[in-house]
Amino acid sequence: MSRLVPFVLIGAALAGWEIMARSGLWSPLLFPSLANIGYEFAQFFSRTDRLLEAWTSLHRALGGFALAATTGVVIGMLMGRSAFVAGLLDPLFSGTYAVPKLALFPIFIFAFGIGSLSKVALVFLECLYPIVIITCHGARGVDRVLLWSAQNMGAARGEILRRVVVPATVPFIFAGFRVALPVALIVVIMTEMVSSADGLGYQVIYALASLKTDRMLALVVVIALLGWLLDKALVVMRDRLVYWEKLETYYV
Amino acid sequence: MKRSRCFPAALLAVTALSTFNAAAQEPPLIRFGRGFAAEEQVWLMSARPELTPNQGKKYQLKQILFQANPERFQAFLAGELDGGTAPGLAVIFARARGVDMKIVASVCLEAAGREWFSTTYMVKDDGPVRSAKDLKGGTVGVVGIKTATDLWARAGLLNGSVVPDKDAKIFPMGFPGMGDAVRTGKINAGTFVEPFYSAEMARGGLRKLFTAVEAVGYDHELLDIWFGEKFLKAHPDTVRAFLADYVAVTKYYLANTAQAKRDLHKAGFVRTPLEIYLKNADWKRDPAARVDVASLDKLSKFMLEKLQWLEKPVDVRQMVDESYLPRQ
Repeated sequence: MSRLVPFVLIGAALAGWEIMARSGLWSPLLFPSLANIGYEFAQFFSRTDRLLEAWTSLHRALGGFALAATTGVVIGMLMGRSAFVAGLLDPLFSGTYAVPKLALFPIFIFAFGIGSLSKVALVFLECLYPIVIITCHGARGVDRVLLWSAQNMGAARGEILRRVVVPATVPFIFAGFRVALPVALIVVIMTEMVSSADGLGYQVIYALASLKTDRMLALVVVIALLGWLLDKALVVMRDRLVYWEKLETYYV
Repeated sequence: MKRSRCFPAALLAVTALSTFNAAAQEPPLIRFGRGFAAEEQVWLMSARPELTPNQGKKYQLKQILFQANPERFQAFLAGELDGGTAPGLAVIFARARGVDMKIVASVCLEAAGREWFSTTYMVKDDGPVRSAKDLKGGTVGVVGIKTATDLWARAGLLNGSVVPDKDAKIFPMGFPGMGDAVRTGKINAGTFVEPFYSAEMARGGLRKLFTAVEAVGYDHELLDIWFGEKFLKAHPDTVRAFLADYVAVTKYYLANTAQAKRDLHKAGFVRTPLEIYLKNADWKRDPAARVDVASLDKLSKFMLEKLQWLEKPVDVRQMVDESYLPRQ
């Protein structure tokens, strides 16, 4: 029964939308019916060129995310376990965390060109922050008793890192990934909306410019679906790798 | 005791009545969506209200700035706007999608001639692109997808037998970055309007490839004034009064361009440095604000047949109603 609760909420939201669309109070160009959105949604999956647009966005998002994940985990671990590195990088990260990196996009275009590289670079930068900060928090908060016990048992520094610090930090690393992955998708769609000739963001702005709200909303559903699938895949991966800790602890 | 109770009630009734009377006497408000370029006469109506004798008497004007056309039309559909400015081709799009709006006056045109400015596509001066044909495999920067700049770029490419999207990319980017993007080879050609055109020409290193007029082959409407059909039916005299003022302001602007530009700059409608703004060439403006309907018709056919931007033909003559303009 509890599994049905989220679907009830989604169903209520969809019903509310359809009531508004059929009320005649608003233009169908503002509130298209679910049937029209559904038709455009089906059209999306029946056309190879549109699926390729999704792939373009996906590979940009995942490319930037993968780079941020690799770099971010290393930096976060170093900041968490080394006072020197933390002293060096903490002011940089905390001082620039709130900067809306999208404002830097024109500079990225000039540095990396108008193609995918500028978008991947911006995704990397946006994703780096949550991964570094959450990983650093996890690495810094490793239980001292565990560290002392390992030391008392004669474990070398590298061994402590590998067998105590890393396993204790992995749940935090995945928490950082879960924050960063939707950010990757959002940033890539936004950059494609601002300046691109391909990708899902471009398709959204194209539909908007054509006053095809139904198609635009169908694309929004596709993006939401992609985000949901990516998150589910990440959770499955996390549950396989971090088998000793249940995901429910995230929500406590 | 009874008197003390009656007094506040009477006061309330008098206040309510006077408020109702004041509201009833107030002229209708026009909620007008404006843009940020080439609409000098429209802005002048708010910057110099003394030039508009009907304003405040037969209508009130509230101008609301929009960055792009889709947002302006969405605001109209949401009932937040009564009218506004928009490129003719954007109104064609909107009509094709069933939006109940009509063009009632012209703001400016893309016209050939040394005395007018026409949106210009430029390439690197020492680059290999000598004609539109050379843009095969290249990228053309436009300010937005399915905008007028997009249409002209596509028209220019087609003139050189280059198929847009297949043989050359159309890439949206802001006007401010266009010059450097061409110079650094990020794009092969860019779209330039004033004041960016003059600024980039002064910097050097760029040369004209074609203008908007050369791309489509004829003078045509750039910006127009539109109103919702319901508003036109409900307030015909209000629209007539508004357009009478608009035409008067257009004539004033054409006769006193430098002073009008100074006033607009002072009022904050224009952020370009004044000395550059005063020197900029201007778009052609019809003093009577008459709409070049034939050019809009040609544009709609081009959008339908060559670009496949429209799914069905649009009856442009049904889309334009010049009956609200003052008689010539």
